[in-house]
Amino acid sequence: MASRGTAQRPNGTQGKICQFKLVLLGESAVGKSSLVLRFVKGQFHEYQESTIGAAFLTQTVCLEETTVKFEIWDTAGQERYHSLAPMYYRGAQAAIVVYDITNQDTFTRATTWVKELQRQASPSIVIALAGNKADLGNKRVVEYEEAQAYAEENGLLFMETSAKTAMNVNDIFLAIAKKLPKNEQTGNAGTSGQGRRLVESEGQKPTSGNCCK
Amino acid sequence: MSPALLENEERCFGGMTFFAQSHPAELCGSNGLPLTPNSITILGKSQFLKTINHPNLCSYLDIIRSKHERTIVVAEYCGKPLASLENLSVDKVIRIAYQCLVGLKYMNKFGLVHSHLSPENILIDKNGTVKLFNFGLYYMTDHGKNVSFPIGYPKYTAPEIFLSSGMRSVKVDSWSLGMIIAECLLGCTLWPGYKLSQSLRKVLSLVHTENSIFERISRENNCFNIYEDLPEDVRAFVNDCLQIYPSQRKTPETLLELPIFQEFLKKDDQDRENSLYENVIQRKMDELYYLWQLAGGDMTIELKRQGLIRSRPPILTIPNLVILLGQMFGRRDIAGLLDLRVVKVSLELLSQRLSHIPYVANYPRLSNHTYAQEPNDLTDTASQLPLIIRERDTEYQFYRIVLFNRLLQIYPITKDAIKREAHKDIPPPVRGAIWAALLGVSGDIQTKYDMIDKETPTHTDRQIEVDIPRCHQYSELLSSGAGHERLQRLLKAWVRDNPHYVYWQGLDSLTAPFLFLNFNNEARAFACLSAFIPKYLHKFFLKDNSAIIQEYLSKFSQIITFHDPQLANHLKSITFVPELFAIPWFLTMFSHVFPIHKILHLWDKLLLGDSSFPLFVGLAILKQLRDFLLASGFNECILLFSDLPEIDIELCVKDSMSMYQKTPSSITYRKHQYDQSKAANWNEPEVGTEKIPRISVEDLIYLVENSPDKVLVVDLRNNIQYERGAIAGSINIPFTSVQLAQDRITSLGPQATPLSENKDRIVVVIGPNDQNSALFAEFLIGCQVFGVCSLQGGIYALRSKASNLLLPARKEKGFF
Ligand SMILES: Nc1nc2c(ncn2[C@@H]2O[C@H](COP(=O)(O)OP(=O)(O)O)[C@@H](O)[C@H]2O)c(=O)[nH]1
Ligand SMILES: [Mg+2]
Repeated sequence: MASRGTAQRPNGTQGKICQFKLVLLGESAVGKSSLVLRFVKGQFHEYQESTIGAAFLTQTVCLEETTVKFEIWDTAGQERYHSLAPMYYRGAQAAIVVYDITNQDTFTRATTWVKELQRQASPSIVIALAGNKADLGNKRVVEYEEAQAYAEENGLLFMETSAKTAMNVNDIFLAIAKKLPKNEQTGNAGTSGQGRRLVESEGQKPTSGNCCK
Repeated sequence: MSPALLENEERCFGGMTFFAQSHPAELCGSNGLPLTPNSITILGKSQFLKTINHPNLCSYLDIIRSKHERTIVVAEYCGKPLASLENLSVDKVIRIAYQCLVGLKYMNKFGLVHSHLSPENILIDKNGTVKLFNFGLYYMTDHGKNVSFPIGYPKYTAPEIFLSSGMRSVKVDSWSLGMIIAECLLGCTLWPGYKLSQSLRKVLSLVHTENSIFERISRENNCFNIYEDLPEDVRAFVNDCLQIYPSQRKTPETLLELPIFQEFLKKDDQDRENSLYENVIQRKMDELYYLWQLAGGDMTIELKRQGLIRSRPPILTIPNLVILLGQMFGRRDIAGLLDLRVVKVSLELLSQRLSHIPYVANYPRLSNHTYAQEPNDLTDTASQLPLIIRERDTEYQFYRIVLFNRLLQIYPITKDAIKREAHKDIPPPVRGAIWAALLGVSGDIQTKYDMIDKETPTHTDRQIEVDIPRCHQYSELLSSGAGHERLQRLLKAWVRDNPHYVYWQGLDSLTAPFLFLNFNNEARAFACLSAFIPKYLHKFFLKDNSAIIQEYLSKFSQIITFHDPQLANHLKSITFVPELFAIPWFLTMFSHVFPIHKILHLWDKLLLGDSSFPLFVGLAILKQLRDFLLASGFNECILLFSDLPEIDIELCVKDSMSMYQKTPSSITYRKHQYDQSKAANWNEPEVGTEKIPRISVEDLIYLVENSPDKVLVVDLRNNIQYERGAIAGSINIPFTSVQLAQDRITSLGPQATPLSENKDRIVVVIGPNDQNSALFAEFLIGCQVFGVCSLQGGIYALRSKASNLLLPARKEKGFF
C-alpha cells in the first residue's frame, strides 16, 4: 500500500528506508503529470497544466520489509525539450515510460524513449511501460497484447493505467519498488538529495539511491 | 460652474437572466473528460457582442456566469419598451420601424440575427431614439443550441421557424418586425389571451393566406377599418415584411430601400454631418458600468433584490425521480429557464459617487510637449496608496481612465506620456490598449493579422492542440470554446509569421495574457505578442535555444550572487541550479507560474523595463522564499518550486523594480540580448565560467561621477602602480597579498573594513587582468560581500577610456 505524504516510520529501527530516483518520460499530454499527481496526492485535475522543464515530487511507499521513498522527476513531453531529458534520467534507478492507449504515435515515441534509456541510462535501471488513459477503452488504438509483447521482449514492467480512475497507478509504482534492489551498499537515508546529482558526468558512478539502513 | 458629470443621464443598465442547458452528468467528451459547461460556451461566444456599438442597439456590457448554469446579461437600457406606449401615430410608428431596421441592418452586417424581437425589447427614449435590447440572445446561445428553451416570441415568430429547424436567416426579423408594426398600426393586441400553442397554430394558419397577411390579420382582429385608412406605402411596407415565403420576403437592408424610408435616410445623413462639429462628450456605457461596479453596483444582487434570482433550498432542485439508467424526471421547469423580465438599474449610485466632479473633467488638460497634467492633485495623493486600493477607488479610476483615453486618442505622439503615466498604474479597462502602446504597436495591425495563414495544417498542430486545453483553464474566458479557437489561431499565426522560430511549450501561456486582455481584438493580441517576444525573449524560440537559455540562466545565477551572496552560496552548496526550476519562469515570463490576475500586475511593470527585468523578478521571488531556502536541503527546495507557494505579487513587483533600478545595466549584459548597442569590446569568457558579473567602464564612470557614495572600488594592483594613479576613494588590495583560501574579510587587513560593512554599495573589482579579478571577486562572494562585480577589461580599459579618473594617490592612501 502506498502511504500519503512523505510519511516515514516514526522510529527508524523498523525496517529500512531506501531512496530511489524515478523519472517519467513520454510524449506530451499522455498523462505523466497526472499519474504523478494521482500517486503522490491522490488527485486528478482535468486541466492539468503542461509541464515546462520538469517538476519534482516525492512519495513514500511501504513494502513488507522496507520503506521506499521515490524522488520523482516529471519531465516535459515536447520533443524539443528532449535535450534536457538526460539531465533528469541520468542517475535514475527507475523510469516510467508513458504512452496514451488512444494514440499510436505516443506508443512509437515511448519505444524510442526505451531505446534511449537502454543506451544512455544506468544499465541497472528498472523501466516500466505505462499505457495510460485506460479508461478510454472505446477509443483504444494501441492493443494491450502489442504493448505487452513489446515490454516482454525488452524486459520492461508493463501495465495499463488510468490517472483518471486511479487504476493501476499505485500498482505500477509498487511493482517498481519491489523490483528495485534494496540490499546493496548501506548509506544513510537521512541525507536528503541523494538522487540529485543531475549534472554529474556520464562516467561517474551514481552514489545515489540504494541507501538503506 | 459647469454641470455635474452625469446630470440628466437617461441611460440605465438592464439585467436579464436565463439558464444554459446543462449537460447530462454522465456525459464525457471524447477525451474522457467532462464537457465544457454551456454557460461557459455562452460566456466566451457572447464577448463578441460587446464590440457591437450602434445608436439603435443597446450595447452589451457584461455576461456573468452564475451558479447552476445561470447566465446573467447586462446591457445598456434606455427609455421605455414599445409595449408600454399607446396611441402612436402612423408617422411615429414608421419612424420606429425605420430605426429598428437601421439597427437590424447593422447587426446583420456581422452575421447576427435577432430572432427575439418583441415590443418588450424595442426601447424608445425621450428623444424618440429606438434601441433594440438583447439583440444577441440567438447568437450568444449558438443559435439556441446551448439552451433548452425556444428563442423567439411565438406570436411574432416567422412561420418557417416552426417548419424547419435549420439556421435562421435575417429575414425572420423582417417578419417579426412586420407583425410588431402591424400590431402598432392597428392599435390592438393581436390574438389577445391566446395560449402558446394557440398562437403557434395561428401563425401556421397564415401560411395558407392567398392575399395580404396584413389585411387578413386586420380582419381577424376586427380592425379592417383602420387597415383601410392606412396610407398605401405603409401597407406595402408591412406586406413586404409579412411574406410567407422567405424567398419573397425582403431583408432589413432591402426594406430600408423602400420609398417610405428615404426621407429618414436623408435626414440621418445630414445629422451625422452636423454632429461632426459638435464636441459633446458622453462617457461610454462600458466605462460607466465598470465604475458603477467599483462604486458597489452588482447586477446579480439587483436581480436577487427584484426577485429574478431566487435561492431555493437545494432539496427542491434535485429531481423527483431518477431511474437506474440515469434518466431524471421532474427536474427543472423548462418555462423557468428564460426569464423575460428585465431589471432596470439607474446610474444613480454612480452619479452620486461622482457628483462633485464637474463636466469639464471630461477634458483632461494635456499641456504642450504632450506632458499629461492631472486635473487635480487627488490622483497624486492617491498614487501613494497600495495598488489594490487605487484599483477599487471609483473616483481615482475615473480620472485615470479619462486621462489614458485622451492620451490613447492621439497615440503614438503621446507614447512617452503614456509610459510616464503607466509608471504609476494602469486602469484595468484600458490595459489592453496601454500595453499595446507600451510595446510600440501601431499601424494597420488588422490587415497584417488577416493576411497570415492560420488554417493550413502544420506539424505543430498536435502540440498546440494538447496544450491549449491545459492553458490557464481556471479562467472562464480562456476555457470557453471561443477562447480555445482564438488561442489556437494566435499560436498558429505566430508560428507561421516567424519561420525562423518554432513553437516551444510555454508559448501558449505567454500568449494567454494578451488574449485575455484583447479577447475581442485578436489582431492587437497578436501584435502585442509579436512585439513582446523580440523585446523580452529574443531568440528564446529558436529551434535550438540551449545557448540562449543557458546564458540567461547563468546570468540569473550571477544576479543572485550579486544581490544575495549568502543565498547564492547556499544554493551552490546544495547544487540547486536554476536549470531545475527557472526555465518555465523565463521562457514564459512567469506566465506559466502565476495566475492571470497576477501576471497582469507583473507585466504592467515588466513592460516598462528591458529584457533584464525578469531576472529581478526571479530574484524577488527567491527573496520571498529566502528563509525557507536557506534552511532547506535540495529536496525541500525543489519540492517548493514544483508547487510554488503563494507569492505576494505587489511586493514582488516592488522588489524587482528597486533591484532593477539599483543595478547598472552592463551587469545584466548578455551576448544574446536584443539590444546590442553597448556590445563593443565586450569579451566575456565562455558562458557559465564566471560566477560574478562584470560591469562596463561606462557604467563605472557614471557611478564614480554621479553617485560616488553608491560605489566601492577595489584595486588589485600592487602598491606602486596604485599610487601612480587610481580612482579617488578606492581601496587598494594587492592581489598577491590575498589568501584566497580564507573566507573572512578580516584576513585582508583593516583597509578592507568597508567591504565587510557594505550593505548597498556596488563593489567594483579592478584587476591587472580579468582572471585575477574573477578569482578575487569569488573570494569576496565566499565572504558574503554584497554587490560584487568586476570591471570588464580591468585597469587597461579604464586607462584607455577615462584616464582622467586615475589620480595619483594622496599620501595617506595605501598606508596602514
Ligand atoms: N481520460 C483520461 N485523461 C487523462 C488521463 N491522464 C491524463 N489525462 C488528461 O490528459 C491531459 C494531459 O495530461 P498531463 O498529465 O498534463 O500529460 P503530460 O503532458 O504527459 O504530463 C490532461 O487533460 C489530463 O487531464 C487518464 O488516465 N484518462
Ligand atoms: Mg506534464
